[in-house]
Amino acid sequence: MVIALPALGLLAALLAGGGAGTAGGNPRGAVSAYGLVSVVLLLSVLVLVPCGARRLAAVHSGLAARLLGERIAGPPPLRHGRGPARWLTATLRDGPGWRAAAYLLVKLPVAVVELYAVFLAAAGLANLMYPFWWPLFRNHPPGVRLGPVGALTPFGTLWVATFPGTFAVFAAGVAMILASPWLARGASTADRWLIRGMLGPGQLAQRVADLEQARALAVDDSAAMLRRLERDLHDGAQVRLATLAMNLGMAREKLGEDGEVPDPDKVRELLDAAHRGAKDALAELRGLARGIHPAALDNGLADALATLAAGSAIPVDLQVQVPVRPTQAIETIGYFCVAELLANAAKHSSATRIGIRVTGREDVLVLEVRDDGTGGANPARGSGLAGLAQRVAVVDGYLDIVSPLGGPTRITAELPLRA
Amino acid sequence: MTLRIVIAEDAALFRAGLVRLLEDRGHQVCAEVADGDALLAAAARWHPDVAVVDVRMPPTHTDEGLRAALRLRSEHPGTGVLVLSQYIETRYATRLLAGSAAGVGYLLKDRVADVAEFAAALARVAAGGTALDPEVVSQLVRSSSHAAGLATLTAREREVLALMAEGRSNAGIAAALVISAGAVEKHVASIFAKLDLPVSEAHNRRVLAVLRYVGA
Repeated sequence: MVIALPALGLLAALLAGGGAGTAGGNPRGAVSAYGLVSVVLLLSVLVLVPCGARRLAAVHSGLAARLLGERIAGPPPLRHGRGPARWLTATLRDGPGWRAAAYLLVKLPVAVVELYAVFLAAAGLANLMYPFWWPLFRNHPPGVRLGPVGALTPFGTLWVATFPGTFAVFAAGVAMILASPWLARGASTADRWLIRGMLGPGQLAQRVADLEQARALAVDDSAAMLRRLERDLHDGAQVRLATLAMNLGMAREKLGEDGEVPDPDKVRELLDAAHRGAKDALAELRGLARGIHPAALDNGLADALATLAAGSAIPVDLQVQVPVRPTQAIETIGYFCVAELLANAAKHSSATRIGIRVTGREDVLVLEVRDDGTGGANPARGSGLAGLAQRVAVVDGYLDIVSPLGGPTRITAELPLRA
Repeated sequence: MTLRIVIAEDAALFRAGLVRLLEDRGHQVCAEVADGDALLAAAARWHPDVAVVDVRMPPTHTDEGLRAALRLRSEHPGTGVLVLSQYIETRYATRLLAGSAAGVGYLLKDRVADVAEFAAALARVAAGGTALDPEVVSQLVRSSSHAAGLATLTAREREVLALMAEGRSNAGIAAALVISAGAVEKHVASIFAKLDLPVSEAHNRRVLAVLRYVGA
C-alpha cells in the first residue's frame, strides 16, 4: 500500500508535465522560455515514469515472490544503444516500463481494498476486547450517567451504553476478523493476476525467451549427440578394427614371406579371431548407423516403428494411423521418442505388454506408449524422460506422463506435424 | 632382447591383443592396467623398460593417459613411454616431447597392425630412442615449418628430418627414401649445420634436431 503511493506522485507529475506541455504549445507567442522549460520537464517526466515504474515494480514483484509465493520472470532489461538520443528513445518506448506504470495505477484501488482488510482485522480485534474491559472501567456508582462508547464497524460507528451491548460489538468483531482474510485473499488474488499480466515479460518476450531456451537445448542436444557418436566409434568400432588389423598383422607375420608355414594352427587361430572381429565390427557399425538414422524411416513412421516393435523383447501392439505425413524432422523425433520409451519400458517397467499408438490429428502427431508394468516413471528422477521432454519441447511439442506407482504407465508425446 | 613392459589401455579387447602380440615376440608383460593411476602404481612396482599407454582412459576419457605418461617420464626417467592413440593431436605431441625426445614414442593405434615395425618402435623407445608416427610428424611439419632455421632446409632435408623424427636410423632413412647411406649422412650433416647444432658429446644432436623440428 505504502509503495503504491509514489505512483500517485508520478501521476501528479505526469499531469503537471502534460499541463505545462499544453501551455508551451500556446499559438500566440513564439517559443518562449516557459515553453522550452515545460518541454524539458515533460520529457524528463516521460523518462522518469517508465524508469521509476520499473524499479517500483521490481519491489512489488519481489514482495509478491516473498509474501505471496508468486514468482514471475521479470521483464527483459532495457536494451539501448550508445548515446543519449538512443537511450532516450529506448526509454520512451520501453513497453515493460510503461506497463509497470500502468500496474502501479491499477494497483491503487487494489491496495485500498487491502488496506481495508487490514482495518477490518485491527478494528475487529479491538471490538473483541469490549466485553473484557467494560466491567473494569464502567463500574461507576449507581445514578451516574456516562455517555455511550463508539465501536468501529464496516457499517458505521456502533454506540454502546450497556454491558450486554458490548456483546453485539464482540459479535461484530468476530465477523470482521473472519471477513478480513477473505477480503485480503480476494485483493491479493487480483494483485497476483495483475502482476502476472503486467509485470511479467509480456507474451512476445516470453515467447522469445522460450525460443531462446529451445534453441539452446537443440544446440546442446546435437553437440551431445555428436560427442556420444564419437565416443561410441572410439570405444567400439575403432577398437575392434584396430584389434582386427593387429590380429591380421600377426597372422601375416606367422605366415612368413614364402615357403612352409611353421605354425599353421596359430595362424588359423589368429585368422579366426580376425574374422570374428570383422563381424563384430560390422554389427557394431550397423547398430550405430541405425542409431543415427534408421533406414526404414525413409518409408515413413509406420515401417520404421514396425521394425522397432519387431525387435522388442516385450510383445508390442502397434497401431499407426497418420493420414498426413509429418516432416522428416518430426518423424525422426517421433521415432526416437518411441524408441526411447520402448527401451525405458523394457528396462524399468517389468511389463508384459506394450501398446504403441500413433495417430495424426489435423496438425498434431500423437504418439502414445503404454505398458502394464509397475509404473512410477518420473522425469524428476534423472531418467531419460526429462531429456525426452526437452527434445520434444524444442519443436513446441509436449510430453504427458501418467505413471502412478503400481502402474500402468501411459506416456503421450504430441508433436506438430511440421517444424 | 626381452623387454619388461607395462600396458595401460582401457579397451580390454585391444589390450588382450597387445599382450598377445608382445608375449608372442618374447617380451614380458609385467602388468596390464586400465587407468592412469594404476599405470603409475604398476611402474613404481615393476620398473619396466617401457610402458605402452593409451591417451583416453577412465575416468574422464580425455587425456588422462597422456598426463600419466608425462608423470611417468618425470618420476621414472629410465622407463620409455610409448603413447598410443586413435587420434594424433599436435598439442599432445609437443607436451610429450617437451624437454627431451629421448625414450618417447607417439603412435597411432593403427600402426600396431604392422607388427614388426611396431615392435621395432617399442624396442627403440625402450632403448631411449624416439618413435613418432608419420602422422604426428607431418602435422608438426605443417605447424612448425616457419620455425627458425627450418625454413632454410631443402625439401629433401626436410624429408630426412621427418624420418629422423620418427626415430629412424640413417640406414632406415636411406631405405625409406631409396638413397645411399652416404647421401643420408650428407643431408644429416647439412641439417645440423643449418639448425646450428655443433658437435658435442653431451647432447644427442639427432634428438636436438628433432626437438627443434617439433618446436618443443
